[in-house]
Amino acid sequence: MQRMADLNVAETPAATCAVSLRVDALSHAYAGHDVTTPALADISFEVGSGRFVVIVGPSGCGKSSLLLMMAGLRRPTAGRILCAGRPIETPDPDRIGVVFQEASLFPWLTAAENVAFPLALRHTSRAARRIRALEMLKLVGLDGFGERRPHELSGGMKQRVAIARGLVQDPPVLLMDEPFAALDEQTRMTMGDELLRIWSQTRKTVIFVTHSLTEAVYLADEVLVMSARPGRIIDRIPVDLPRPRTYEMLGGAGFAALRDRIWQQIRTP
Amino acid sequence: MSPRAIRWLIVAAILVLWEVLPRIGAVPMLFLPPLSTTLAAAAQDWQAYASALLITLGEVALGLVIACGGGILAGAIVGAVPFLRRLLLPVFSSLYAIPLVILYPALTAWFGIGPESKVAFAGVYGFFPTLLGTAAGIRTIDPQLLLAARSMGATLPQLITRVILPASIPTVLAGLRMGGALVIVGVVVSEMLISTAGIGYMISFYRTVLDSPHVFAAILLVLALTLMFDALTRALERGCASWRQTA
Amino acid sequence: MTAALSERPAALALLRLAMGAAALGVWELLPRTGVVDPMLLPPPSVVFPALVTMLGRAPIRSDLLVTGAEIAVAFLISVPVGALIGVLLAEDERLGAIFNPLLFFLFGIPKSIFLPLFILIMGIGFWQKVSFGIFSTVLIVILSAASAVRSVRPEHLTVARSYGATRAQIIARVYIPSMLPILLEALRIAIIFTFTAVILAEMYASRTGIGHQIAGWGENFMMPSLLAGVVALSVIAVVINEAIRMIEHRCSAWRT
Repeated sequence: MQRMADLNVAETPAATCAVSLRVDALSHAYAGHDVTTPALADISFEVGSGRFVVIVGPSGCGKSSLLLMMAGLRRPTAGRILCAGRPIETPDPDRIGVVFQEASLFPWLTAAENVAFPLALRHTSRAARRIRALEMLKLVGLDGFGERRPHELSGGMKQRVAIARGLVQDPPVLLMDEPFAALDEQTRMTMGDELLRIWSQTRKTVIFVTHSLTEAVYLADEVLVMSARPGRIIDRIPVDLPRPRTYEMLGGAGFAALRDRIWQQIRTP
Repeated sequence: MSPRAIRWLIVAAILVLWEVLPRIGAVPMLFLPPLSTTLAAAAQDWQAYASALLITLGEVALGLVIACGGGILAGAIVGAVPFLRRLLLPVFSSLYAIPLVILYPALTAWFGIGPESKVAFAGVYGFFPTLLGTAAGIRTIDPQLLLAARSMGATLPQLITRVILPASIPTVLAGLRMGGALVIVGVVVSEMLISTAGIGYMISFYRTVLDSPHVFAAILLVLALTLMFDALTRALERGCASWRQTA
Repeated sequence: MTAALSERPAALALLRLAMGAAALGVWELLPRTGVVDPMLLPPPSVVFPALVTMLGRAPIRSDLLVTGAEIAVAFLISVPVGALIGVLLAEDERLGAIFNPLLFFLFGIPKSIFLPLFILIMGIGFWQKVSFGIFSTVLIVILSAASAVRSVRPEHLTVARSYGATRAQIIARVYIPSMLPILLEALRIAIIFTFTAVILAEMYASRTGIGHQIAGWGENFMMPSLLAGVVALSVIAVVINEAIRMIEHRCSAWRT
């Protein structure tokens, strides 16, 4: 198991030195009636540009809170988060797109209008919005579904729309908070492949939170393992399985070894 | 036989009895005039009924502004702000137990026996239930939607206009339907009690002269008004809520 | 700060009391400062003594008794009759299928407008008001009772049956406890409906009852008595409502 001190080394391919996101000595505690409950303890890591990083941990470890802080939707009690050098304190849709577990599409808008919503907030012209939205829908494999309303879409399709919405402003970073947790297993597998395809086409920096070990190893360039509350990063595991990832790899020895390594860390109290 | 068919049979039987029983003397005509006589009375005096209806509708319209306009707005605010909700909702819910009709004599003393007192009464009568209903409905708005919008950088005015307002439409329409029904009843009842005009007044007036057909005709008119309003608002709700997910 | 405040029920209660006191204060000031005509809106310092005097007078007390009796009788008839019909409709699927849409339709029709008919047919005596009270209340009791029966979870019934419970035991140990919260809620609403209906009937045409008195005071511009009556009835209504609410709360602690 790597020691804490070793974890602050940025791991980036030699070609680029750009660091996309950095978390610096972040801690968070909830103020209760008479006690303060620590939720996150001294988290520091860096994510290189274009990497697919997965954060995995047991329920309640605070990984979703961490993601919300990276999205600028919550302030940590201590520490800071930097994206391309600039601190994140409020939502920054130009640099960071967010996809939630519940697709959270606006039920009164069509799929295309949902995707275009961030642009509408910026008062982009209607024509330009529409073109861009349809482009994004095509990217996520929903060509022709623009006029559908959310209640007409399946769970997997709704998440695709949510991903399209997250990408519509072409942010360099995409945060995803257990986006496939509400889907059935088969859809999850399909969506995982779809996500990797979209990622390889757009080369965004993706930070993906999940509680599924299989999903973590399958998708990631590296896996950050979080402990139970108070959450801290207890391991950083590079996944050097070849890309594109295939279903056959799931049965391979390399895959099992990585998954075991994660499980050993999490189950130790 | 299907339940539906049986229901229609029951309704038909009631209509038939309504016509026949008084005519054969089983029920005194004073208590239950035949259906045909009732409808004839309405047709014969349709102008009087129409002008009374107009007055009533005018009072209803103004009452709606107070009850629904005020009730929905207040309900939205109380429902959305947790502090206000916890403070005020139990208070309003308790006040709901008071039979508001006891306020009406005071209102006539203050505003006279004209339309103002009817509007005031109906406005108050519809206000509280609409407020309670709207406050409850506002809470059904998915908070995740607000989180998603904030993550996209929406400002507070944008959150209100682009998320909260559209998401509230079903609740608002339901409030309109409920409040409106109560306003109609409030207006008619207050017209029945103390008034010089309106459909409620007609009901009372014809009762005092023991003119049953005209009394029944007026009551039927009020029922028709209530049903039409209900159908109208339901159609509006359906039209605006085509995007509503089935839970 | 407001977030923390809303967590403390004592603080909220205090705040509400303060609001009530403030409202009374405004009521006192408006006529005293001449903003409102004191003849039209006498202040609490006039109304509350009038209330006390009023309650001391025998005719008023007998009026209150009459009203109370009308409400009680109407309530005591509506509830068992309505409950029985409601349970029947919920238990027998066929009857339910036939009558439920009719009942919902009837529920949407305002009952108050039929009051003149009751007077036409029955005059203005005790039983006319009781009948109108029953007419206004029985429907909501039926619908609530039916809903209460339907709320009993079939899984619970299955468990009871699998342990060999008799019909009587199932009713006593599964149905009744399950239905209690909804039934109590129905009682609370039934009282409100009956109260309102009887008062309305008295205000409209009657020779006795507190509703009739209030209407009379209004007609004769006897504002202190009128407002005293309004306050008295409001307090009574709210107290009864809260009392039933508390019982409801006690019995429904398990409800999700």
